[in-house]
Amino acid sequence: MRYFLKKLSSLIITLLVISLLSFAAFSVIPGDAALAKLGTDATPEAVEQLREKYGLDKPLPERYLKWLAGAVQGDFGASYRYSTKTVSELIASRLPVTVIMAVMSFIIIIGVSIPLGIIAAKYSHKPPDTVINVGSQVTMAIPSFFLGIIITYIFGIILNLFKAGDYISPQKDFWACVRYLIFPSIAVALPKIAMVVKYLRNSLLAEVNKDYVRTAYSKGNTKDQVFKKHIFRNALIPVITFVAMVAAEILAGSLVIEQVFGIKGMGNLLVTSISSRDYPVVQAAVIYITSVVVIINFAVDILYQLADPRVRYS
Amino acid sequence: MSVELLKITDLTVSFPNKDGSLHTVVDHLNLEVRKGQIVGIVGESGSGKSMTSLAVMGLLSEDAIVDPCSSIRFNGMELLSMSGDERRKVQGNTMSMIFQEPMTSLNPVIRIKDQVGEVLKLHTDLSDEEIYKKVEEALNNVGIHDVPELMDKYPHQLSGGQRQRVMIAMAIINDPDVLIADEPTTALDVTVQAQILKLLKKINEVTGCAILFISHDLNVIKEVCQRVIVMYKGVIVEQGRALTVLKSPQHEYTKRLVASMPDKAEPQISQEKILHAENLSVYYPVKKGLFSSGAKHSAYVHEVSFDIYNNEIFGIVGESGCGKSTLVKAIVGINKDITGTLEINDERPQMVFQDPYSSLNPAKKIGWIMEEPLKLKGVRDRAERKKLVNEMLNEIGLDESYADRGISELSGGQRQRISIGLSLMRGDKFIIADEPVSALDVTVQSQILKLLLKLHDERDLTYIFISHDLNVVRHMCNRIMVMYLGRVVELADVNELYTNARHPYTRFLFDSVIGEDAKKIPEGVKPAEVVETKGGCSFYPRCRYRCDKCREQMPDLIDIGSEDTSAGPGRPHMLRCFKDITKETPEVNRISELPEGKLRQ
Repeated sequence: MRYFLKKLSSLIITLLVISLLSFAAFSVIPGDAALAKLGTDATPEAVEQLREKYGLDKPLPERYLKWLAGAVQGDFGASYRYSTKTVSELIASRLPVTVIMAVMSFIIIIGVSIPLGIIAAKYSHKPPDTVINVGSQVTMAIPSFFLGIIITYIFGIILNLFKAGDYISPQKDFWACVRYLIFPSIAVALPKIAMVVKYLRNSLLAEVNKDYVRTAYSKGNTKDQVFKKHIFRNALIPVITFVAMVAAEILAGSLVIEQVFGIKGMGNLLVTSISSRDYPVVQAAVIYITSVVVIINFAVDILYQLADPRVRYS
Repeated sequence: MSVELLKITDLTVSFPNKDGSLHTVVDHLNLEVRKGQIVGIVGESGSGKSMTSLAVMGLLSEDAIVDPCSSIRFNGMELLSMSGDERRKVQGNTMSMIFQEPMTSLNPVIRIKDQVGEVLKLHTDLSDEEIYKKVEEALNNVGIHDVPELMDKYPHQLSGGQRQRVMIAMAIINDPDVLIADEPTTALDVTVQAQILKLLKKINEVTGCAILFISHDLNVIKEVCQRVIVMYKGVIVEQGRALTVLKSPQHEYTKRLVASMPDKAEPQISQEKILHAENLSVYYPVKKGLFSSGAKHSAYVHEVSFDIYNNEIFGIVGESGCGKSTLVKAIVGINKDITGTLEINDERPQMVFQDPYSSLNPAKKIGWIMEEPLKLKGVRDRAERKKLVNEMLNEIGLDESYADRGISELSGGQRQRISIGLSLMRGDKFIIADEPVSALDVTVQSQILKLLLKLHDERDLTYIFISHDLNVVRHMCNRIMVMYLGRVVELADVNELYTNARHPYTRFLFDSVIGEDAKKIPEGVKPAEVVETKGGCSFYPRCRYRCDKCREQMPDLIDIGSEDTSAGPGRPHMLRCFKDITKETPEVNRISELPEGKLRQ
């Protein structure tokens, strides 16, 4: 209980600091939403009027506190850009597709990289390892927009497995959306798979020469058994942090892949909001990303305790 | 019925070098272990003793090449021609192994019951319940007390002795015909070492399991083995009955191995104090929480008082956890959280560590490492620095060519020489040597000890010498301080302490040493009866002479006067005990074994 309270308070403190920083950052950048909306030709009076409407004429601390009071109740204000929508509505419309795609990519990452990592370690410096290694190098080296284009080309245009640009939002048709997201998810997952495989392979190999592995062999275990029962869990401990970082990254929304596949997710929302100085939306997006990172860190702490008894009992 | 159990003929093991040539580590080795026998293999690292055991166990690494003429017959079967599956039926079943480092040899993330039970899972069809029952039985048999509790624990929650007992339980649970023990006690405390040896002997007597016992320590070999084989550079140089071989060695190498320790010069008692400690307590922060106000303290060293005089070699002994390392950290100034008085005349002393490899920068050449203290001292002239380094290299028994080498190119002994030289480069006269030879081979040990003594005599140095090896301490030190759970329990001149030890703990330590004469291991190992002492003597729970007074009250450290007068009359002998144990007969029933895991308070 104490532990959870501690974690919760650190979550709140982090959110406060980050939101304050982003608030301050936007007030330092020249130009504001009113100007951006009305364009440079607007009369100073019109700009001033809009500023007043948005509350931009008030001093920064006052604006921040007002925002904070609303945010605590889940009210992030109205979007400057889409005047008919509140920020919460905007986020609610964009978040699901990002989360679905993140979950799908994550499943692909885990499902593919764990077996590949084990194979690479078990046959280190032998042909299977070399093949996996070369494959990883290539996928890591390809820029993600290019990877997206290749996948669109091969699976969309040649094999006709999906129609590029034919994005359907999950609110409209959940399964159609999932089907559409398969290939973008693969595009997100591929470079991450390469990294996780490399990381897992090295972590496994670091364990292979440990004393307890020798003990395991001395009991009459086969190589497969030693990897499965003894090495894997020990090797997984350092990999957890890395995989969690990957999870946080894909949950934040992949800007490039969303752009290439025409997906209206969080990444897309963040980019358009920044360029149109739609602060309330940006602010909410920042809060979302920060929360994801902090919560995932929290999950890592718990996973660590499950995986490593030395952490649990100290 | 045949008595042949394990017969090795012409075993040759080699490893390929980078240039394709072969490097032979075991060369035409012949060896026989009969049923129920304990055979020892002794030799230093690189002698091939461990490779031999790994070859028997089938654990050689993949690049090892076993000569096709070699043969290892076990229970009438040829092990070397077996397939992997056939071999695995032997491993952990009729043949098992225990390793040197019980901490790293156990899997850190698997519960004890599952690690021990795994052998049964692999080789029998027992159900989980039957397996756990047998595991409990095995753990009981190796002398673990709180078995039900320990079953669900993980290795890091156990003490060193408990871990090694778990390893042994794992090795004997399938009732093997032969047990290979590779340095099973080297990583353990003296007192635990004696108990583990005793346990192995008992297992041999009760179950008739033969043991192939590998060690670098002759005293240990002499204690447990009937036959001994002396290996040097891959070949057997001598073999025979253990007592005969070790008493009258024939081969040059065995003679060197058996050769006695170097002897120190007679102490000259100086009156000049170089260090003065009075009521010195050293603390460690226990926990720093986000919300807890301030760090809590816990004293690891309680009110110790002692002086160190110029030019003396002052020994500190005690089991791990007794506070000797904590005390030393306070003396060199790493731990500043102290109360009481700690006065040091000169500069803070320099340390020589147990493992010189990790304390020297592997990325630099030795010349650079040794010049560094000169640079810090302000010796600007490059040629001058070089000259001083070369002189020092000669002084420590190396030569100028070593200046261009890296640390990884040196042997353990050479590294230790460098780290001794390095502390002298700083020009200090006061050196703390923390287990400086315990990681080294026996023959190298005596060279390093000789070097330390030579430098001591030539350069008027003062040492604090920390070791768990009481034979080494006896040969090196002038005065010895015995510590138990952060307190000084006895402090006296070396001869006085070794002839007239008065504290029950000191006696217990000495009795645990596998001495030069066939030795009595402390008898009467009874389940530990850990008794809460409220402000009483900290040794009370383990003491065989205890009385009610000791439970209530901590004895003071008082001078009882030295009986041995070889260092002059009226020398002090400090003791923290109410009883005059020379006049007492211990109540044997009360003898308790190490309450393992409860050593740290």
